[in-house]
Amino acid sequence: MEQEIRACLDQKRYQEAFDKLLPEFQNKVFRLAYAMLGDAALAEDMAQDVFIRIWKALPGFRGQSALSTWIYTITRNACLTALKKGAAKRESSLEEPNVARAAEEASVPPARHGEIDVLRFLDQLPERHRQVLRLYYMEERSYEEVARLLEWPMGTVKTYLHRARKELAEAVARSKMERGTA
Amino acid sequence: MACAEFEERLLEYAELANGERARVDAHLAQCSGCREFLDALRRVDSQLSAQLAGLELTGTFASAVQRRVQQERFAGRPSPVPELLDFVGWGAIVALFGLFAWWLAPLVQVSNSRLAIPFSASYAAAGAFLLAAFLIGIRSLADLKH
Repeated sequence: MEQEIRACLDQKRYQEAFDKLLPEFQNKVFRLAYAMLGDAALAEDMAQDVFIRIWKALPGFRGQSALSTWIYTITRNACLTALKKGAAKRESSLEEPNVARAAEEASVPPARHGEIDVLRFLDQLPERHRQVLRLYYMEERSYEEVARLLEWPMGTVKTYLHRARKELAEAVARSKMERGTA
Repeated sequence: MACAEFEERLLEYAELANGERARVDAHLAQCSGCREFLDALRRVDSQLSAQLAGLELTGTFASAVQRRVQQERFAGRPSPVPELLDFVGWGAIVALFGLFAWWLAPLVQVSNSRLAIPFSASYAAAGAFLLAAFLIGIRSLADLKH
């Protein structure tokens, strides 16, 4: 597909190229945005903004990198800008654990009744650990895909993932013990 | 909670080679801390996979993006108003000069016949001004098209 899109771009058929790349990359862009922002509604809005940016920038795409790399870079930069802009706001709203949890729970299926809700513990992790963890599970637990989307070295992805899963597992075990003793 | 020696292997338990897994399993049989850790890890993996795996956009996303593209395309067109004002303003200024030259031509002839600007030259100047007004107008219209 990337070849077809590139062929369209070479012939300056930008609208056709855009029509092809939108269905091809929309879910990847959404997941990357969701991993970075942690909220499905925000991620969907962000994905729309990213595709508008892509549409505007397509005539300037020179093909020095793979199209997917270019698209993910635009997505990451847009999310980082949004995170920086929203940092102050989130401090007073979304960063409050209860509000963040409510947003998170509203966007993904809830845990089954009686189960320990693992998502609840995500807020306790550092931001980079949360990002890599969300992406890892969204991308069917593929280290390669996570490394490709975040453009991080594989070793970094594995290190962050191990730390994050370890912290979560320990939090779940503690919670289970507390339930058992309560 | 998990033994430091086995923690890393437990985090990669599913990917362990057979020999390595047998060694870890032997340890698990006699270590409740590592068993609890592996159990919690499996809980994390299964629950987060169930909640996040293959998360996808709603079906209306692509059409919403295409609608926004159309809006952006329309919004990206320059407004014709400044160009129209440019056209009217410059055309009017130059035309005024032309009309002034037209009005002046007979007066100059009558007041001093020696120094008089030839009648045809005055009209030529007026015509040149009007032509300039027309060319400015054309240029403004060309800008409008872009």
